[in-house]
Amino acid sequence: MTASAEDIKKQALADFSKYVNPQKARVLKNAGLDIIEGKREGACVWDITGKKYIDCITSAGSFNVGRRNPEIVAVLKKALDEYDLGVFLLCSKQKADLAKKLAGITPGDLQYVMFGVGGGEANDFAIKLARGFTMKTEIISTLKAYHGHTGFSLAAIGRDAYKKPFYPMVPGFKLVPFNDLKAAEETMTGDTAAIILEPVQGEGGIHPATDAYLQGLRKLCDEREILMIFDEIQTGFGRTGKMFACEHSGVVPDIMTVAKSLGGNLYPISATIYREELNDFLVAHPFIHLSTFGGSDLGCIVGMAVIDYLVKNKVPEHAAAMGERFQKGFDVLLKKYPDLLLEVRRKGLMMGLQYTNESIGPRMSYQLAQNGVMAIYTGNEPSVMRLMPVLVIQPDEVDFVIDALEKSMAAIMKQGGIEKY
Amino acid sequence: MATSDEIMEALADFKEQCNGNKRLRRMQRDWTKVLHYAAVDTGDKFTMTVREGEILSNEKGAAGTPDVIIEGESETLCNMFWGDINPTQMYLKGEIKVKGTQEDIMRIDAITAIIWPEV
Amino acid sequence: MTVVDDILAEKDFEKIRKETETNYREYLNPFALRMFKNAGLDVIEGRREGACVWDISGEKYIDCVTGAGIFNAGRHNREITDALKKALDVYDMGGWISIIRERGLLAKKLAQITPGNLKYSIFCCGGGEAVEVAIKLARGHTGKTEIICMENGYHGVTGFALPATGREVYKKPFAPLTPGYIHVPFNDLDAVKSAITKDTAAVLLEPVQGEGGIRPADDSYLAGLRKLCTENEILLIFDEVQTGFGRTGKMFCAEHSGVTPDIMVLAKSMSGGLYPISCAVFTEEISDFLYSHPFIIINSFGGTSLACLTALATIEYIEKNNLPERAVQMGKRFMEGLLALKKNFPELVVDVRGKGLMLGIEFPEDSIGPRMACLLKKNGVISIYTFNNPKIIRIMPSLVITEEEVDFVIDAFDKSLKEIRAQEAGRNMKGAGK
Repeated sequence: MTASAEDIKKQALADFSKYVNPQKARVLKNAGLDIIEGKREGACVWDITGKKYIDCITSAGSFNVGRRNPEIVAVLKKALDEYDLGVFLLCSKQKADLAKKLAGITPGDLQYVMFGVGGGEANDFAIKLARGFTMKTEIISTLKAYHGHTGFSLAAIGRDAYKKPFYPMVPGFKLVPFNDLKAAEETMTGDTAAIILEPVQGEGGIHPATDAYLQGLRKLCDEREILMIFDEIQTGFGRTGKMFACEHSGVVPDIMTVAKSLGGNLYPISATIYREELNDFLVAHPFIHLSTFGGSDLGCIVGMAVIDYLVKNKVPEHAAAMGERFQKGFDVLLKKYPDLLLEVRRKGLMMGLQYTNESIGPRMSYQLAQNGVMAIYTGNEPSVMRLMPVLVIQPDEVDFVIDALEKSMAAIMKQGGIEKY
Repeated sequence: MATSDEIMEALADFKEQCNGNKRLRRMQRDWTKVLHYAAVDTGDKFTMTVREGEILSNEKGAAGTPDVIIEGESETLCNMFWGDINPTQMYLKGEIKVKGTQEDIMRIDAITAIIWPEV
Repeated sequence: MTVVDDILAEKDFEKIRKETETNYREYLNPFALRMFKNAGLDVIEGRREGACVWDISGEKYIDCVTGAGIFNAGRHNREITDALKKALDVYDMGGWISIIRERGLLAKKLAQITPGNLKYSIFCCGGGEAVEVAIKLARGHTGKTEIICMENGYHGVTGFALPATGREVYKKPFAPLTPGYIHVPFNDLDAVKSAITKDTAAVLLEPVQGEGGIRPADDSYLAGLRKLCTENEILLIFDEVQTGFGRTGKMFCAEHSGVTPDIMVLAKSMSGGLYPISCAVFTEEISDFLYSHPFIIINSFGGTSLACLTALATIEYIEKNNLPERAVQMGKRFMEGLLALKKNFPELVVDVRGKGLMLGIEFPEDSIGPRMACLLKKNGVISIYTFNNPKIIRIMPSLVITEEEVDFVIDAFDKSLKEIRAQEAGRNMKGAGK
């Protein structure tokens, strides 16, 4: 009674349309991205019908250690022989171990940890902690920023389309242009609790913050007793060539949020890590923020295995090297297709290709899918294609992606419609 | 090739289908836009005005400041309004060009998905 | 040597305890640790099985906390664990942009087992997140903003869920919160009626208030709400995070009253206590919002391949073993025992109530809740008072609990109440002697 892969795929698409999200299924199908994932390994994923793709989406940086990394899988399977989620109201050795480990690998004096499941939840807690600790209310965030879909994070997102149908939002949020120190300074008031930003804006179109900007913000925040929150959800765990992106500038935030790759692409877990001083708020309110599934025994074990893997295999260094290899390819493409590819922004393996207009992002996705690469445009800036492959990508796979980009760009050039608007 | 009048006829039918669809109207109620259509082979242009999900008018010529510009062969445009083709597929293959935000493009796709789910 | 081998290799329990406590103090929450101790919750979980959990030192307890209803299918359920392990041979999370076959299959299954015309699912990780989705769908679909919710309700702590939680202490330090939430007394139809305006998008409630002190909604109340909502084009949202998947004696608590909400929120026991997943299940009409906004609610970890497979295995287990019926049977046995306690300790037990295996026992004053939890722990039962009301101890064991284990818990309550009675008598004597 074995159905063919084609039949399974057809049924899966039908079920997805009927019970999950019909329009999403349609959009993906049109874009040639109606992939039903079968085998997954390293940088690659196979559609159940057998077609192989290099995954440059990786749920925006959730798969740093590679698709279905066998070492992490083995750890989780072994953990499943002993553990379940555990009870969030009890003391857990696994939670304590991972908290210590995170305190060890994060920069500066970041020390205490609150666990969650997803990135948005971690940012929600960061913002709550900032308000609770400072007893001030205003939160400054940046235009085109992306921090998640839970209420506090959503209010901090720098894109109206995500928010408008759900108005009113949490009050007290002010948006300022990214990489603009003066704008941030002018927006700060005596009631500013925190500024939250991504050291490299991801959904905003892969915009790295300049070192001077971050250093200037740190100074301003210190002077005015404003907390600095770094959302390292996409940039953390080696993505930018360092364990955390903030290490590039040497700036240590007061609160850092991490998620995505901490779960090794196997198990959801996120964390908010903050300075010791801030913990006073939790001493006064120990059970004010709870998460049933956050920091579960299984999730924490996976988190520890991921960190061990990244350190042992020097994955951040590898990411830096593979990023350089990508850059060589991009340099050629920039010369060859100056009317299509305006700019490449990159930090390690967090890479954004700036095209001339919004239509090219989706059209390139379609072409790349034909050429064996899964890639999409960034959520807040459709003229930018994000490439975030797994960090354990190999040199020949880098070359394959560059080759696919070249073929796809050639096809787009032939079609036209590349002018700026 | 489709004449200007044929395209206007297709547009009128499209308008009727959209405005008569309660579900669609509710879904699109936060969508107020001016769309321009340009037939690249004949040079004809058309303006569609949408307010809160309702197509108010279709006119010949390009009027006002458009939020979205859609360009294609006259025949392709006609087929699109008749529901004979999937516009997004045409767009991704470069057979029609759309200038506008990705969001508006997806909205247009949503309209056609509701009217002609099988296309 | 993997990290798990390292963890399992350590057998010196005192050392583990010390190390864990140090790590809590240094890296998690020093004061919480103290609270755990005071509340009789300083158990570090080792082995888990069925209705029981063993402290790393080997001490055995019956778990009546179960993370407020995560472990309906039992602690560390072997069948579901094996299913997840098998899934790990093939799958990882899956990409969020991909069409995930397992997600479609689970959504279809949920459409089948949830009541009425509930059909579409959006998946997330935690219950609070799914409540957020429900509220967003309500606002997005109706174009209205106000959410009517219940005093003493609990719906989570993230931005759209937190204002719905009906208790000030959770909210005050974080104000200003998302506006547009109106709180009314629970089980009071007239209160809802007078709170409705033309801008009301939804009414949100738990069919049995969990943290609010195990308070079931009346059938007539729910039926009245349904009618009010339909008449006024308001969406009815049931938060079945704690009550779902057999807990109250039906697969979903809504079935008791026969009232179908427009959106149902599920989490906790959905994946057998092994993998985070939650969802909002809603009607086809509401799904129209996803046509105009297909990517407006996205979630990298929500409804992963592994999560969906685990959930499918869990639902299969619950159905195969008819756990809702088991909850009815064991709940009945529990209730008999609790009623006897009420009779035997009239000065200490004010009320016993609940539905299925979602039970609460109410004491005359706040301090007795935590004291009882400590004594119960001594007598082999892990329990906790409800967050919004410390007068009430919640009893939510695994639905696989056996008759002997029910009797054991009742016996532990009996012993603990006797000790409280003795303590009170001692105090009164002291008072009298002065």
